[in-house]
Amino acid sequence: MLEIHDLTKRYGSVLALDGVAFDVAPGRIVGFLGPNGAGKTTTMRAIFGLVRADAGEVRWRGRPVSPEARVRFGYMPEERGLYPKMRIGEQLAYFAELSGMTGTAARQAVATWLGRLGLSDRSDARVEELSHGNQQRVQLAAALVHQPDLVVLDEPFSGLDPIGVEAMAEMLVETAAMGVAVLFSSHQLDLVEDVCQDVVIIDHGRVVLSGVLDDLRATSVHRSLEVTVNGEPWVPPMAGEVAGKRGGHVRVLVDSTTDVDEILADARRTGDVTSFRFEPPSLTDLFLEAVSEGRDT
Amino acid sequence: MNAWRQLWLVARREWSQRVRTAAFKVSTVLSVAVVVVLIAVPEIYGAGEERTRMVGVVGDASRAPADLIEATGKQLDVEADTRAFDSELAGRRALREGNVQVLLIDGSELVWEADPDERLRAVVTAAVAAVDRQAAIADLGLTAEEAARLLQPPDLASSSLEPVTTEEATARADLARIGLILLFMAIAFYCGFVLTGVIEEKASRVVEVLLSRVRPTELLAGKVLGIGLVGLAQFAIVATSGVVAYRFSEDVTLAPNTAPGALAWMVFWFVLGYAFYSVLYATVGSLVSRQEEAQSVQLPVTGVLLVAYLFSFAAAESPDGTAAVVTSMLPPTSPMVMTVRIANGTVPWWQIASSIVLMLVTLVGLLQLAGRIYAGSVLRIGRRVRWREAWHGAKA
Repeated sequence: MLEIHDLTKRYGSVLALDGVAFDVAPGRIVGFLGPNGAGKTTTMRAIFGLVRADAGEVRWRGRPVSPEARVRFGYMPEERGLYPKMRIGEQLAYFAELSGMTGTAARQAVATWLGRLGLSDRSDARVEELSHGNQQRVQLAAALVHQPDLVVLDEPFSGLDPIGVEAMAEMLVETAAMGVAVLFSSHQLDLVEDVCQDVVIIDHGRVVLSGVLDDLRATSVHRSLEVTVNGEPWVPPMAGEVAGKRGGHVRVLVDSTTDVDEILADARRTGDVTSFRFEPPSLTDLFLEAVSEGRDT
Repeated sequence: MNAWRQLWLVARREWSQRVRTAAFKVSTVLSVAVVVVLIAVPEIYGAGEERTRMVGVVGDASRAPADLIEATGKQLDVEADTRAFDSELAGRRALREGNVQVLLIDGSELVWEADPDERLRAVVTAAVAAVDRQAAIADLGLTAEEAARLLQPPDLASSSLEPVTTEEATARADLARIGLILLFMAIAFYCGFVLTGVIEEKASRVVEVLLSRVRPTELLAGKVLGIGLVGLAQFAIVATSGVVAYRFSEDVTLAPNTAPGALAWMVFWFVLGYAFYSVLYATVGSLVSRQEEAQSVQLPVTGVLLVAYLFSFAAAESPDGTAAVVTSMLPPTSPMVMTVRIANGTVPWWQIASSIVLMLVTLVGLLQLAGRIYAGSVLRIGRRVRWREAWHGAKA
């Protein structure tokens, strides 16, 4: 279990982290969300000691993170980086050995990973000779090659095409299934919703919402409502603000205590109900709500 | 995870990546070629210089006896011999073909191919004058004793203000100069690798992947160590080929007693000098994110290195002067100046010891400072990091 306790970090007049606290449990995938500049990268760097927090601490398995524990972590920074002229096989083996593997174990792990990524025959290729997609795969392998206990990925989906996104999501799910704690940041919320079990939403250096995604959605005080009557979008009179429009649909957020039957009856009085959706709010709804509430207070 | 093992892994990567590059192979081959040529060419050239100079003799040979020309030549440090020709035509042909350097006709006329060789002219003139004197003595009917008195050269007392330059001292000075140039080139060359290596890791952003596993100090020290070992290996190859080239040449001017000791000291000071300057270069390199900025950011360090180089040239002129003694003890200049002084002669052991101690103490302090600045700046991608930001960045 990774525990982040009240991390605070100030850069000059900017308070980058203002008491950030959350946990990442083994086998869980935690989506770490927030607008640009919210403090996601700073928090991730603090886990690896790349940023020293002014206050608070990061604990792993109940103890402050030691260098021995840290080499059992895997990290994919937002700024992707590999040695452009080094052969990928050697490069991955180098990273694995730096993380404490023996030479033999490292070579075996590299062979396994290259096979998994479909790059077995390119072990001697230099990074700069690979396609962008393959470079991304090698980058991910660099974070995972030493079979880490915790994996931290900063914006793993950015710059990937839909196939790459799919492969990355699959890889994260497989990794977590092996009992690895996975933390990743993103602002592509629709992707996160499909991949992660837990979310932590951060804004202005503070955690504004965190928990199991399904629970958060279920316990939200809002419900998402989307109705069409006679093929036209229909909004009940008591509805609040419009949460989204797409094509011929209008989605509104209503109170979770709203009586569904009553709304449906209302709609029927207006005409033929052609579609009716009443469901917990999406992650995007939760996110926008949490961020705006956080800013109001 | 053992920090030493990580340091070694970083060094091993630098080694294995660099010895494979074309740059390493080409520069090694070139250095070997340059050293061999430098040693072999003076040998060939020198052999030409010292070749016996032939005096062609035509007609009356009595005024130019071969033994007299040879003896006079020895006095004037010219190896000379004679060769007789039947006709002036044959003599002139030999002159044109370069078989003789001057033609003496009837003991009274000198013919040159082009520019006269003044030393050879002096030899022939002195020989002819000696023959003439002998003839005059015979004409005057002097006794052997009177003749000896007449020919007795004056016995002039001779002394020098400064110690006489022995062959050994000349050899030492030559060695010091060659060693100095090699040392400067080696330090500048390998420190350049460290500088570009540090910037490369920052420019390719791989540094953050590395630093999630390794502490900045191990990364920095491993890089310096790995590139230093490449430097030593290259030096060993070049030095070995130089020694082999000497074996084949018969040049004895490089005093065999001096060379091994001075060479060992040179390697020793290369290690210290390289360590000192490479850490400086790595530190300034960590401030920038693009290779294009390397040129401007390295200027202050290169400036210091050049100043040290100039001081060591001054030290080569007077190895025991105050300036030389002082600069050979202080860290920025000591690696090069001390190398020159040691190669040039005897340096008191306490001066060598204190310069080594001062250098080591400075290195320890420098590593602390550089490690902090490096750690504080290496993750700041983008514009050039200011010293202040780097300093506070690491602490924060």
